[in-house]
Amino acid sequence: MRWLLTVAIIWGLMAAAAAAQTYSPQRPLPRTTSMPTLRALATQREVEERFKLGIDAEARGDWTSAVAEFNRIVALNPPEPKGSTARYDLAIAYANLGRYDDAATELRAALALDPAFLAAMANLVSVDIARGDLAQARQVADRYVAVDPDSARALYSRGIVALRSGDAATAREDFGKLLRNNPSYAVAYYDLALAEERLGRYESAERQLRAALSLAPAYARARFALGVVLLREGEHGAARNEFQRASVDAAGDPALQNIAAAARDSIPAP
Amino acid sequence: MSRTLFRPVLVAALLALLMICGRFAVAGAASLEDALTGALVPSAAPSLLGPITSAGRVGWECKPERSAGSAGWHEAELPPHSGSP
Repeated sequence: MRWLLTVAIIWGLMAAAAAAQTYSPQRPLPRTTSMPTLRALATQREVEERFKLGIDAEARGDWTSAVAEFNRIVALNPPEPKGSTARYDLAIAYANLGRYDDAATELRAALALDPAFLAAMANLVSVDIARGDLAQARQVADRYVAVDPDSARALYSRGIVALRSGDAATAREDFGKLLRNNPSYAVAYYDLALAEERLGRYESAERQLRAALSLAPAYARARFALGVVLLREGEHGAARNEFQRASVDAAGDPALQNIAAAARDSIPAP
Repeated sequence: MSRTLFRPVLVAALLALLMICGRFAVAGAASLEDALTGALVPSAAPSLLGPITSAGRVGWECKPERSAGSAGWHEAELPPHSGSP
């Protein structure tokens, strides 16, 4: 009986302690009565809350709500790094709504606030490519490579912009450097081969394409490019074989499949 | 038609046919060459890096900023090997 009473008393004391436990508030209570300070604290809190809501909206693909949240943060003009970050996040929402011009404007504003913001540079190159503005894309890509010369994304992005705008020499340099750090990246071999092909260096192009295909044998676009390069080298039989295989490997890409089949059929069988 | 007139007409017709065939052959070859060159397209532009919280890009493990500066293609979130450009 005495033992039972002791247990009951200990249990009662523990329950009382748990009930009396206090929790510290999530945010410190304002220790001021000054109106400007209170207003600034309220703004700060609104910015934090809207960041959470905006990022949650982006996570569930609700880009319209995300635009509303980040636009409000931008209007509140928070100090750095929140100002550039809100513009960066707003640009992501705009880009996903297909509003590439607005996305580019916000990313440029983010870079004006934070000139070394690499993620903003990275996204701005992709957005400018989507807008079809290769001159602007190249400007940002040059700046990106200058700020971080070893960044794989900077080299890849500038290489793609250079290839699309006919600057095969820069593309060759960038993909070559990218491959020095990433010798198992098949896509970079493919793009380097394209640069070599455009420079009329067919042997080197063939070598790069064979390297890409040794890493990714079902890489249909590389297989097709190899056929084109072999054709330019006068290797008609070998080219025909590559086009044949490309037409099989390109099952998920009907346009490539058709052109590979047409190229194969244009070469008489031996 | 007299025999003297028939011969030059036949020769002219054959020449015309030859020229038309040759023209089609050249046009066909040129269009194939154009199609092949047009099909050698560069890979896709990289997809967008993800959002950043209110903490900003500096002073913590900010994934998009780290990806943007990474020297490795995988961490940089570049298009994968087998991805169709």
